[in-house]
Amino acid sequence: MKKKIPLIAHDLKKIYTIFAVVVVVLFIVCTILTNFNVMSLVSNGDAFWSFITNDFLPPKLPKASRIPGVLSSVLVTLALALSSTTIAAILAMFVALFGSEKVSPFPKLAKVVRGFATFLRNIPALVWAFILFSSLGIGTGVGFVALCITSFAFMVRAFVETMEDVSQDCVESLLTVGGTFPQRVSQAILPSCLSGFLSWFLYCVEVNIRASTIVGMVGGGGVGMTLFSYIKNFQYDIALSIILLIALMVIVVDQVTNILRKELLK
Amino acid sequence: MENVIIEKKINKKIPVKCKNKSNFIPIFMISVAILTILSLFYLNIDWVKLFSRVPDMGHVFWQLGHLDFSKIDLIFSSLLETISIAVLSLLYSLVLGIIFGMFAARNIFKIKALSIFTQSFFTFLRAVPTPVWVLLMLVCLGMGPEAGVAGLCVHTTAFFTKSFAQSFESISDETIEALEATGAGRLSIFFNAIIPTALSQIVAWAGMRLETNFSECAILGMVGAGGIGFVISSSLKGYDYGTAGVAILLVFIIAYLIERMFVRIKRSIN
Repeated sequence: MKKKIPLIAHDLKKIYTIFAVVVVVLFIVCTILTNFNVMSLVSNGDAFWSFITNDFLPPKLPKASRIPGVLSSVLVTLALALSSTTIAAILAMFVALFGSEKVSPFPKLAKVVRGFATFLRNIPALVWAFILFSSLGIGTGVGFVALCITSFAFMVRAFVETMEDVSQDCVESLLTVGGTFPQRVSQAILPSCLSGFLSWFLYCVEVNIRASTIVGMVGGGGVGMTLFSYIKNFQYDIALSIILLIALMVIVVDQVTNILRKELLK
Repeated sequence: MENVIIEKKINKKIPVKCKNKSNFIPIFMISVAILTILSLFYLNIDWVKLFSRVPDMGHVFWQLGHLDFSKIDLIFSSLLETISIAVLSLLYSLVLGIIFGMFAARNIFKIKALSIFTQSFFTFLRAVPTPVWVLLMLVCLGMGPEAGVAGLCVHTTAFFTKSFAQSFESISDETIEALEATGAGRLSIFFNAIIPTALSQIVAWAGMRLETNFSECAILGMVGAGGIGFVISSSLKGYDYGTAGVAILLVFIIAYLIERMFVRIKRSIN
């Protein structure tokens, strides 16, 4: 009777062990591949601190003549994120109707639509931006298109999932009484899915605020471009105040969308 | 006379619409539409010029389609570097995230000031996009994978801290109370009750984050760190579309595989 009673179920223990082994192996392989050493971070600690305390702190405001420019670049970023998300959402709604097998009038095409969206989605926004820069030239318009592509693809997937989650009873019953495709959409799908669609839209706005800052850094305009130019000129103290501004912008947008989402799902 | 009244009643349509429906959604949609139109005007995009160049886009895609495998060894080595940076930053932040999540959750140490401080600090870190952190790390640490791992870690740790704290807080107070009654210390409660319960959620969050980390890591090359992003951006700038096409295709395949794997794992956990 000296045998211990196992506290964890046998098969569960097996899964945990496999998981732990995989993690350790991955860790070792990746460390060898990249030559990454945590100690190098620690040994660089002094340089790190001196960078933070000398160059970075305290945050300094940009020259007074530049401040309106910085603020208007923040507005550009916000406008870019909102308008590209809205346009993408309108397009995505129409496409998503064809992406769900149960709703679409051509169920055989649904897989093709979803596959196309998967392809667009799995290539990061910045890669799209670079592809477009080489064909359309640098500028805000290209940033707009690049953001549109990724958020369009993301929302097609999210909208299709929302439609499939909602009970199919109303769609089916409208189909049996002879409702046409537009009738099915406007009377069954829109009323039941609209708040879900809008909450995904809000999520996408949050994501796009960050993405438009990043796209700005490589030439899409907006606050990202301003920040990048200050970092390139080694004016880190001014860069810090712009970073704080970006953080403030993101936090405010997150709070607003949270409030709106709560109202929507009420 | 009576007949007329009855007829009137019959002719009246039965209202199908719910009368006391909240009008929040229409107001919301209208205001979004107005704001969008305003911001499109504010952006002042030269649409004519943009659309006139659309045929060029077809040309670029056509060129990208001509895959050029001559630099495949360079692409593979940078892809491996990118994947390892993504995985390493994920693993380091997993550990850091669990530790900070422990501080941030309100039900573990039960010090209110500590959790509020941790949460607001990480909210700030999370609000700044990853490439900014990587750029700053590049300045501190110089070129190389260290900057990539450290920069990605900042954002990933902040993300994990928030989500793990949420998972820890969702554990019922009864479990903790029962262990407290047996005289267990704070740390042993954490390791023996909270971690095992939250493990499936931790795995799910980690899988989701691996997806994002890989695509962010592919981006990092473009702002100056190494990896696959650097190959893509430099070959696009050098009009070497064939190489860029191969690299973009590989990025897509890896991202797709990670997504499928994650869906599988999520299904087997549930």
